[in-house]
Amino acid sequence: MGNKQTIFTPEQLDAYQDCTFFTRKEILRLFYRYRDLAPQLVPLDYTHKPAVTLPYELIGSMPELKDNPFRQRIAEVFSEDGDGNMTLDDFLDMFSVLSEMAPRDLKAYYAFKIYDFNNDDYICKSDLEKTVNKLTRNELTPEEVNLVCEKVIYEADVDNDGKLSLEDFQHMIIRAPDFL
Amino acid sequence: YCYLKIWIFHGFYAEEDLVGNLASMSTSERIKAIQKMPETMKKKREIRNKVLKEITKKSRHHGSQLSCTQCLQGTAVSFRRFGNSLSEYFHLLRFWHRALKMIGAKFGTSVLSYFIFLKWLLTFNIFSFLINFSFITIPQFVVAEPNKLSFMGLELLTGAGYFQQTVLYYGFYTNATITKIKNGPSYNMQLAYIFTVGLYFVICFLILLFSMAKSFCRNFINLQTYSGNASKLLCTWDFNITNEKAVKLKQKNLSTQIKEDLTEVNREVVHFSVKERAVRIVIHLVSWIASLGTAVAACAGVYFLSINNLKLFVKGHKNDLESQAAMLVLPFVASLLNTFIPFFYSWLGHLERYQTPGHHIYVTIARNIILKISIVGILCYYWVNIVATSESQCWETLVGQDIYRLVLVNFIFCLLGSFFGEFLRRIIGTTFCVSLGLPEFDIGRNVLDLIYAQTLTWIGILFSPLLPGIQTISFSIVFYVKKVSLMMNCQPPRKVWKTAQMTTSFMFLLFFPSFIGVLSVIGVTVWRLKPSEGCGPFRGLPSMYAAVAEWIKMLENHTPSKWVVWIYHNLITSVLFFFILSVLALIITYLYWQIIQGRKTMIKLLHKQIIN
Repeated sequence: MGNKQTIFTPEQLDAYQDCTFFTRKEILRLFYRYRDLAPQLVPLDYTHKPAVTLPYELIGSMPELKDNPFRQRIAEVFSEDGDGNMTLDDFLDMFSVLSEMAPRDLKAYYAFKIYDFNNDDYICKSDLEKTVNKLTRNELTPEEVNLVCEKVIYEADVDNDGKLSLEDFQHMIIRAPDFL
Repeated sequence: YCYLKIWIFHGFYAEEDLVGNLASMSTSERIKAIQKMPETMKKKREIRNKVLKEITKKSRHHGSQLSCTQCLQGTAVSFRRFGNSLSEYFHLLRFWHRALKMIGAKFGTSVLSYFIFLKWLLTFNIFSFLINFSFITIPQFVVAEPNKLSFMGLELLTGAGYFQQTVLYYGFYTNATITKIKNGPSYNMQLAYIFTVGLYFVICFLILLFSMAKSFCRNFINLQTYSGNASKLLCTWDFNITNEKAVKLKQKNLSTQIKEDLTEVNREVVHFSVKERAVRIVIHLVSWIASLGTAVAACAGVYFLSINNLKLFVKGHKNDLESQAAMLVLPFVASLLNTFIPFFYSWLGHLERYQTPGHHIYVTIARNIILKISIVGILCYYWVNIVATSESQCWETLVGQDIYRLVLVNFIFCLLGSFFGEFLRRIIGTTFCVSLGLPEFDIGRNVLDLIYAQTLTWIGILFSPLLPGIQTISFSIVFYVKKVSLMMNCQPPRKVWKTAQMTTSFMFLLFFPSFIGVLSVIGVTVWRLKPSEGCGPFRGLPSMYAAVAEWIKMLENHTPSKWVVWIYHNLITSVLFFFILSVLALIITYLYWQIIQGRKTMIKLLHKQIIN
């Protein structure tokens, strides 16, 4: 608990504390989780900012993510290269947004990006179809999926352009208090 | 939120503006703004470094006390580090954090809401116990009389016997003004008692009011149109769940629900013929009459049992096993009625065949609430009208003992309910009758049990100041037992519970029938009832409130405290003041209502504009 740790410089820890919702202890604990995924790749000394990236397969095998149907999209959204391979910064960022201390509009912003499979800043019908299939484990027939997507767009599309923009999505989130 | 928008829309050029804005804010606001930015860590670090440079540049402009501003910044940084390490220690106070996370991961947030509600109620009890113990019990220990009764084990269950002459009950407290040193500071026990209890209820009232308003604001205001499919699809996925089985179950539920919704859309609204509608209305009416009739019968039973109960006490103590056991009959019967009549109500609900399962749940919960309110109501009537005017020696202690026994037996029934309702049901469901499957955790019934227990505790605070401590222990044990039972025996809920709305409804139920009812009972007790002559801090006074009136009279002769007397006469006891306050509150409510109506029309107009 004292200032004895040698992984980060005090300025690095201050920067992490300012940029995420975590305390010092939590940041160090997350660092050890990150390192446990691949001890041979991650050094114990981050003071010289080594450029270490862990591949998606290791991230996706974490117990918090491995059963989440959206784990690949989550890793892609938060990783620097867009492929799911995460540096420590991306890792901390991801858990900061997913933690319970992050405000709802921040989570809504990232949820939008997660549901936006083709990264075009709009949730179009094909994005929605992929979302529905992931949420229901492909148990619905294609006609049912189609119907559901049409209904969702009809209800949530405020500016009537046939797809959901970030504003439409956030507008819907405000009205749905169950959003996590 | 505004920084989110700025960042998305203005793009690059606003970065300088952003840095400037951030630099001009206070430290804590700046940190919050940076944390909320939807950017990568690298970008946030860059911005943060730019902002810090900007700040040092600015401070350099403001006068040349370079070393002073630098050392100020250094002290600010070390203060923040100290504050951060302090907050880490405060996190240790977040007890059960880990258990709650595990429950949320395996069962989702709807079941988690029950445990969070339990933890919230526990804090009320801990707070009450702490202030009662510090301000009432500890001074009493100083002038305590020795206890002449002997301790037999049965007192733990009945609360009578040895416990009657302890600080557990109202009757033991002295009415004297305690002074240890001659002519030293004195401690007026009467005022301490009434002010401690009064202050606790005022604080509870404010906390409940604000939590309820905040929760209502967040969860109900925008209920209108968008409870449709879009939000069901995109907003109800519970990212909290990490257990594989729970995830699969949730996916299956969602697909089942979507299929049901689609078939509902395809099926037109079923038109019932007149005869069928009449039959349905008659069935509904009959079941309501049956449930209300059961509630009334339960109340009558409790009432007659309690009249018999009183005869036991007024006749005098016999302190043998039979009369001790007879004391337990009333709480036993009350808890029995509370446990089994809800099953009867669920069975009635199944008979009625409601149109939506949501209706069924709400009607069953409403009936359970009516039952519980009537039982607590009849008990309060019995205590206030019959026990208080009986010829017993110390009626407040009697009421305290009754409440102690009710709380204890309710606790035992809660544990038994968990054992039979979940453990045995699981064994039946997995070995004998496999089609039943694992039981689900019945959130509604358990929350109503909690509210009932808390109502009893609140009523009992005046008559037994240490009762919240006992309830704290019982709630803690209930938490662990329910958690273990949940993990071992239950499956995640199949129905989609609108968690946020249910949490608000729980709080509303806690506030409105429960707390307001308790306040009325306590109000009647303090203002109207005559305290017993031979025991307690208010012995000999015409009412408990008279202690305050006498104190004010005493202060009138004491010139420096004339302002207290003025406040008392003109604000607290004056009817005109409350009248003016009520009129003001009504005017402000009306104005806010008009503002809301205006905003609604505004939203409609803007909506039309966006579409076109």
